[in-house]
Amino acid sequence: MATEQKYHEQNIEDHYVTEEPFYVPTSDEIDIFESAYRQRVPILLKGPTGTGKTRFVEHMAWRLSEGITARNPGTAATNGAGEKLPLITVACHEDLTASDLVGRYLLDADGTRWIDGPLTRAVKAGGICYLDEIVEARKDTTVIIHPLTDHRRSLTIDKLGTTIEAADGFLLVVSYNPGYQNALKDLKHSTRQRFVALEFDFPEEEREAKIIAHESGCDSDTAERLARLGLKIRNLREHGLEEGASTRMLIYAGRLIKEGVSQRRACQVSVTWGITDDPQVQRSIDEVVTSIFA
Amino acid sequence: MTSSDDAKQNSIEITRKELDQFPAPVLERYEVALEKLNGRLADETCQLWAQEGLEIASKTVRSWEAAAEFFDASVAVQRQLPSGQFLKWAKTGTSLCEDSPSLAVAYFKSSPNAMLRLRPRYIDDWANVCRALYRGTWKSSALACRLFEATPDLLETLSFEEFCHFGEFLEILSRRSYDQAGDALAAGIDLFPKITGDVDRFINLAQIVAEKSWRETAALFDSATASLVELGTPHRAPLISLARRLAITGVSDAAGVLRDGVNTVNRIPADKRDRLLEMTDGIAAVSAPAAPAFLKIVPEVLERVTFNQMGQWQTEGLRTARESEEAAIAYFKLESPASQEMLDSLSSSIELSRVRDVIQMYCLALTGRSIDVQAAAALAEKNIGWFHGELPTTEGTTIYMPSVINRYTTKDENFGHLKVISTHQIGHIEFGSFAFDFNIPSTLFDDLRPRLPGASELKAAKAADESAQKAAANPPQVVVFGHEPPAEPIQAAAEPVEVETREFLTDMSRFFDLFQERRLALDAFTVLESSRIDGHVEELYPGVMTMYDMVRTASLEARPDVTELPAREALVEFMIRVSLGQVDEMLVPSEHLDVARKLRKLIRQVTSVEAVVEDAAEAAIRAYSILIDVKNEEVDDDDFEQLEPEEEDASAEDEDDVVDPEEVIRQFMGQSSPDGEGEGEPEEGDSSEPDMDSEGEGEEDYSSPQEVDYRGEFKPELSQLLSQMQMMENGEMSESGEMEPITQEQLEEMMKNAPEMEMEQTEGEEGGDQEVSEMIENLLKELQKRDPENQHFQPGPSQHVDEDGGPLTATEPDTFTYPEWDFRANEYKPNWCMVHEKIMADGEPNFYRETLAENSGLVAQIKRQFELVIPEMYRKQKRLEDGEEYDLDSVLEALIDLKIGVSPEEKLYWRRNKNERSVAVAFLLDLSASTAEAIDEAKKPSDDWGAPDDPVEYMVWLRSRRSEGLRRTYKRIVDVEKEGITLLVNSLEAIGDMYGIYGFSGYGRENVEFYTIKDMDEKFSDMVPRRIDRIAPLHATRMGPAIRHTAAKLAEAEARSKFLFLISDGRPQDRGYSREGVEKEYAVHDTRQSLLEARNMGITPFCLTVDKAGHDYMKTMMEDFSYEVLPDISLLPKRLPQLYRNLTT
Repeated sequence: MATEQKYHEQNIEDHYVTEEPFYVPTSDEIDIFESAYRQRVPILLKGPTGTGKTRFVEHMAWRLSEGITARNPGTAATNGAGEKLPLITVACHEDLTASDLVGRYLLDADGTRWIDGPLTRAVKAGGICYLDEIVEARKDTTVIIHPLTDHRRSLTIDKLGTTIEAADGFLLVVSYNPGYQNALKDLKHSTRQRFVALEFDFPEEEREAKIIAHESGCDSDTAERLARLGLKIRNLREHGLEEGASTRMLIYAGRLIKEGVSQRRACQVSVTWGITDDPQVQRSIDEVVTSIFA
Repeated sequence: MTSSDDAKQNSIEITRKELDQFPAPVLERYEVALEKLNGRLADETCQLWAQEGLEIASKTVRSWEAAAEFFDASVAVQRQLPSGQFLKWAKTGTSLCEDSPSLAVAYFKSSPNAMLRLRPRYIDDWANVCRALYRGTWKSSALACRLFEATPDLLETLSFEEFCHFGEFLEILSRRSYDQAGDALAAGIDLFPKITGDVDRFINLAQIVAEKSWRETAALFDSATASLVELGTPHRAPLISLARRLAITGVSDAAGVLRDGVNTVNRIPADKRDRLLEMTDGIAAVSAPAAPAFLKIVPEVLERVTFNQMGQWQTEGLRTARESEEAAIAYFKLESPASQEMLDSLSSSIELSRVRDVIQMYCLALTGRSIDVQAAAALAEKNIGWFHGELPTTEGTTIYMPSVINRYTTKDENFGHLKVISTHQIGHIEFGSFAFDFNIPSTLFDDLRPRLPGASELKAAKAADESAQKAAANPPQVVVFGHEPPAEPIQAAAEPVEVETREFLTDMSRFFDLFQERRLALDAFTVLESSRIDGHVEELYPGVMTMYDMVRTASLEARPDVTELPAREALVEFMIRVSLGQVDEMLVPSEHLDVARKLRKLIRQVTSVEAVVEDAAEAAIRAYSILIDVKNEEVDDDDFEQLEPEEEDASAEDEDDVVDPEEVIRQFMGQSSPDGEGEGEPEEGDSSEPDMDSEGEGEEDYSSPQEVDYRGEFKPELSQLLSQMQMMENGEMSESGEMEPITQEQLEEMMKNAPEMEMEQTEGEEGGDQEVSEMIENLLKELQKRDPENQHFQPGPSQHVDEDGGPLTATEPDTFTYPEWDFRANEYKPNWCMVHEKIMADGEPNFYRETLAENSGLVAQIKRQFELVIPEMYRKQKRLEDGEEYDLDSVLEALIDLKIGVSPEEKLYWRRNKNERSVAVAFLLDLSASTAEAIDEAKKPSDDWGAPDDPVEYMVWLRSRRSEGLRRTYKRIVDVEKEGITLLVNSLEAIGDMYGIYGFSGYGRENVEFYTIKDMDEKFSDMVPRRIDRIAPLHATRMGPAIRHTAAKLAEAEARSKFLFLISDGRPQDRGYSREGVEKEYAVHDTRQSLLEARNMGITPFCLTVDKAGHDYMKTMMEDFSYEVLPDISLLPKRLPQLYRNLTT
């Protein structure tokens, strides 16, 4: 081939987390997740945006991959997909339908062809299927999720008329943001009661500073200040802000600062302007920024 | 004797005889006058004169009095008048007597003096002017008489012509009210001499006012007497003319124009005054009603901009004025946004009200608490212990800032200043100044607090000591002050507490109780604590430091000269300077260099970021113990010396405590014997009462240093008390549980002892006690306000129905019964409440229209947001990979593609949006009495315009105005609710959701009033805005039945999603629903139950409350429901649509 391949392409079943994702635990969530996984109890991650839910799942996928090979060689042998635990992430959005998850017929020049959706592939491969922001998906998705989350552990594909029993390693993990008083986007009880729930919130100042420093590579003083900024801005939640500043935002600010952008400017573009469009709130946040950063 | 003499004698005799028929004084006076006039008048004249008198006397029964006066006055008058005029004068009197003898009396009486200034030819006119006031009634005659009497005085300053005008004015006014005219007359006598030269102009104005709006004449004279006289002559005339011109065009309140005009003119530099009046004229020419507003607002405007800038502002206003009068008035009242913005862009000053929201949010961000931001004057007005209306301060829950900051030439700098002072005040809250706990150990010092005796403990200890001496047995039991082994004093101090326990309201009080010289202790603590805050700010908020340093430098420059101060004060001043960052040229009394070094070190210690408030307290103990030994005596300039910079201070790096703790304890133990000799022999030394006067010779009373302006007033005790109260309300104080109610005595005790109060008492000696008690009362009120337990329910007009009575039956139409949930019994009381449903009465549609017009920006914004929702509702989505049905077009295309042999498009389906909007929502408004509360400072009612002149009409007008309550000048909670609903209705119409608006109130369970403003299935019509207009506060708040009734209505509505939106201003309360502790719970539980019922019916309830104390009961009531407590009620109109949108999309 003439052109050098500059990207890495793989089947989603083959996506393993191979390097340890940086994650600082808040309490015993790692332990709970491990236990739940061993018992194949589906997991619900609750918490505002940018509190590390996705990172946590990645971390756990990595950890369990290692764990499976290390602790249960027997299990690994029976796992047809290989020794490691694949992680299949689906970001849900409001147009995401059941067939987007399960699969559909596609038309091509030769006629129709069935394509498995990501959920089906995860069920077959025996990996973790992580449905991010599950409430955003259309309601019909819940119907297919339910049988996967109880003792049946099966996926029915009505268009094919088949039922697939999940491979042994399969586990459903969903996340949702209890968010801001939105009655239509609440998770139904019949759904939520099928999961063990782990709550996520913003890490406390010191830990957040550590995370920011690690992720952005900025110096610890800047990281501490960013963490303080995060803390202060979160005080405005429900008083003009719908969501507090995510750790991610702060990390971005830290990265920009590391690149030599001035501290105030970095905070402005990655935090102030990102978090709200209300000029007055922006102004207030700006004042906090200019207090904390010289 | 000649015949003529005889004849004369004869006629005199006849006259005498005839006069004799009248009461004696007539004849007597005649005789007296005759004697004097006899030689001076020609016989004939004399005879005519006498006959005139006779005629007067015989006019009516009472006219003899007039005759007597006539004779009396004749002598004096005759001297000034030629005989012809003299008789004419007499004739005029006679004709007056025909009208009324008392008029004549007054006429004659005042004549002698009046003639001094009145030209004889005007006599008739004079009498006519006065007579014009007479209309045959007693009141009119009294008035006319008064004018006669006043004539001599008036004529001293008035020309006759002016006098006539004045008379005309009085006549016009007297047609409306004799009392007013009388008052005007009296006022005129007083006023005219002071405004000579402008009298005619003024009378002219008064006349117009009397014609146009007579009620204002009194005010006009008042304001003229009060202010016009203060104005320099050159500007008086133009101002009066201006007022006159305005009065002619129908602008009432000439009095206000004069008052404001004078006030304004006097406040601006002399060379600008003409220009100002020209500017006002300019406005008056375009829009008369706007001119008074302008005159009034000028001083306020000039606080923000220069005179020339104001010119620009005025020019802009004129442009507005040409377009609309209303707009012009609003502009010049500084009420329109355009006006504010214009001014803002011109000025470099920062107005608190303009940036309040930003600062408030800044505070919230920094502290995580809802800190209110107010103008400092607001706190001083409350009179609860703060006195400066200018200095920034805080009482733990609100920060108070100067209302305008205009120190620098640019806006940024001024805002920076505001930010600095806010940051410092918030620092007190954020870094816990008021969370001081006597028992929490400090981090930097050995704790002395628990080892020191309080003032009261000292006393108690003495008692214990005496009894111990009597017992005389147990050596360790004898409390030997200062000689206890170091570990023991805690016990020693603790024991006496049992003898006399003193309760302190706050830990701060307990702390200050340790000191004899409380004020010194407070000052030391203030400096140290402020330094600590500054230290924290410096560490945590380096971003503000540039400005902070600037402010500190400015503060340093404003400090008094140290060398002027006596020694102790000089040292306190030294501390302040150190804390403000001064390093060079530190002058200190040579004798006390070492003391200064120690103080400096203390300040450095508390400035570290580790320091907590308890450290500042410990440092204050040390500073106090050092300072108390310094005699506050005069120090010569020469005896000041420069302290070496810190680097050269060998002891600065020392880790040791600046003082020996044991030494301090000894000193405190012995502090009741100020001469210090008691040390070692405490039994003798402390026998005397604490005596502050026994200071040494040449010593001056210690007085507190001048405040550092950016730090403002610091009142730790009061603030701690107030913020504790607030925290209790927010449920943050859990450990100590219920606090005992604070009594007036306790407060008095505290105020008496609080060092922060002392300074005031010395300043205002007289009436001090009363002031203090007033303050305590205010404070108590303030505390009650913060204490949720004291929220009273205002009972409506209640019919008595036994609360234990049985179920009710709905017999009348439009009444419904509902059960109520009794949480104690854990069951429903069947048919317990009766809901009366009524349709809200119609009002005016104006409110709706005006609200939309005033908030046009917001309306557009909301509309835009809502419009984003619409497309999703009806959209049929095509070209989907999956859906309900094949899309025929797409399928055909795909087939063609297949035939051709290319890959067809895969999106062959269409689908109706599953999120098709089907929403029904009911808004339930709390119309309880408490919604009548004003939400902001009441503005002075100034709009008496349009009051009709006719008294009858006036009464009608007044009554209608009262009943409508439309022209209320302040906003109530309910008004904001109305605004919110108005904006929402407007948007809901755009979105097409089904909605109903209801209000509820009532009194007692049998009278739950339920008002329909718009029913669910009712179409929006003109009636809805009219009904919105009539939304008004009523009685109590029984939420349960109202919610149940609304839920029942919603249940009938056909919609997929149903919402119940409750907007309230407080907890549910009603007779038998909320009164005592248990009932309060009862109400909350019943409301909760009703919400649960609603949810079971598939309705999503949401509660929005504007009650700041709402978090506590809302947590119980709304446990797993959504609710929001609005931090600021004025946000409601903006927030409501936002919430609605979030909730339903």
